[in-house]
Amino acid sequence: MTRIEVDVEEGRARCSLSTGLLSPRVLSCDDTGARVALVATGALLLAGDAVRIDVRVGPGAWLHVVETSGTVAYDARGGTATWDVTIAVAAGGTLVWEGLPFIVAAGADVTRATTAELGTGATLLLRETLVLGRTGEVGGDLRSGMRCTLAGRPALVDDLRLDASRTAPGILGDERVVDSVLCLGMRPPATAPSPGRAHLDLDLPGALVRSLGRDAHTGSLDAVWGQWLAHVAGAPRPGAAEPPAVPHPPPSQPRPSQPRPSQPRPSQPRPSQPRPSQPRPSQPS
Amino acid sequence: MHQVTGTHPDVLLMLLADARLPTGGHTQSAGLEPALRAGMAPRDVPAYMAARLATTVRVEAGTAVVARHVALGPARAADGAPTLADVRAAWAARTPSPALRETSERLGRGYLRLLRRLWPDHPALAVLEEDLPTRGRRGALTVAGTARPAAGVPRPLVLGVLAACAGLDAVRLARLVAYDDAQTVAAASLKLEPVDPAETTTWVLAAGPDIDDVVAEVSHLTDPDHIPAHGAPLMEQWAEHHARTTERLFSA
Repeated sequence: MTRIEVDVEEGRARCSLSTGLLSPRVLSCDDTGARVALVATGALLLAGDAVRIDVRVGPGAWLHVVETSGTVAYDARGGTATWDVTIAVAAGGTLVWEGLPFIVAAGADVTRATTAELGTGATLLLRETLVLGRTGEVGGDLRSGMRCTLAGRPALVDDLRLDASRTAPGILGDERVVDSVLCLGMRPPATAPSPGRAHLDLDLPGALVRSLGRDAHTGSLDAVWGQWLAHVAGAPRPGAAEPPAVPHPPPSQPRPSQPRPSQPRPSQPRPSQPRPSQPRPSQPS
Repeated sequence: MHQVTGTHPDVLLMLLADARLPTGGHTQSAGLEPALRAGMAPRDVPAYMAARLATTVRVEAGTAVVARHVALGPARAADGAPTLADVRAAWAARTPSPALRETSERLGRGYLRLLRRLWPDHPALAVLEEDLPTRGRRGALTVAGTARPAAGVPRPLVLGVLAACAGLDAVRLARLVAYDDAQTVAAASLKLEPVDPAETTTWVLAAGPDIDDVVAEVSHLTDPDHIPAHGAPLMEQWAEHHARTTERLFSA
């Protein structure tokens, strides 16, 4: 099981990591948080694979998870694979997870489950790009479940059943890419209306922008991601006496539309954005 | 005692399934008008009906069934027993589209008015007033200083309380929610596309097995956490777009 834990202890962020099918590597670290890359330790995702990623962010800490390549779930030839993510962000903590495309090839049969529990004043910013089929393929079967709570109350519960029935009118129809940015724990800024995209303000503080498209290039939410990341990074955190130490948004980079091979390539994670070592100047209020 | 006593539950079931009930059902197309405007082919209406029964209708029916169970109050004294506020929270978490939540709460107000008139002294209504005291009240319809309407009580939750008052069991309630959705699609299609009314009736009849699947999935539920959460991303987009459209036949 892959595990990433970040806690603030004695004025210093402490990361506790363990390696599973994905290996976490610290890219940078400061007093209250860290940027951590997830690197595949072998070919993913094959029949029988059970990826488990547990992420815990301690009180007042921040964590930015960076994926170094997208993931392809390959033809399972009758087998199945699972991808389970468990997230816990304690009071005042911040987790930013920039997921790269998760591609479900023809013949794959994958169940994804993401569970996130946020404490009071915690924030989660999560990118998820689901792609049904490589170019020219119909794609395999995917069930993708999301269960998020905010201070113990349900905030978002959403099960997408994207098997052969997904082409039904109203589910996905002819679309095959489901790109989403979820912000929980605070209400992110409004986004401009755009065809094929919906901005959904949740009942509790938070919003989901979901874009549906034919390929990974159209309807991309890179701009929304950048906008919301800046918002999350600039938000004052409860209990924080000093300016927030959440990283500046990285400069917008084109996301790979096709994943790179999944061999471990520790020398080739995306370059980490150096963070300023001094605290950000406080915003005029 | 109950104002409506001695009336067979089947009559009450027919009453609740009747489009002539004064609850504003005529303003609804179950998302069909938004779907057709977005370019869905009219020949796909039966498939659309089935897609709803596989997704959003299960959230609705599950919410109604659990609300009925909670309103009947068998576990009310127990610590940590779910309240109707928990049922509403579970429904809201499963309905990320604000347009769909607002539509449901607007319809809920109509049912709530009827409920208060028909069963003013029923214990199930008392549970609703206790658990969600400020919701759906006249005078509490807008949040001061904002354009957003105050949160109401979603339609399936009120339907669940109505079922508790009317003596409808969970199976009948789930079937009512599913049938009503299919019939709403069928009736709306008559106003949106040139189609033979007998033809649309065959669609509802053909959806029978799908309606039974809904009943089988939700009628035993008692826990808000177990309410199905099957999403329909395109329907959400269409609903959001329709809510910002001015020239429309149906409100949703």
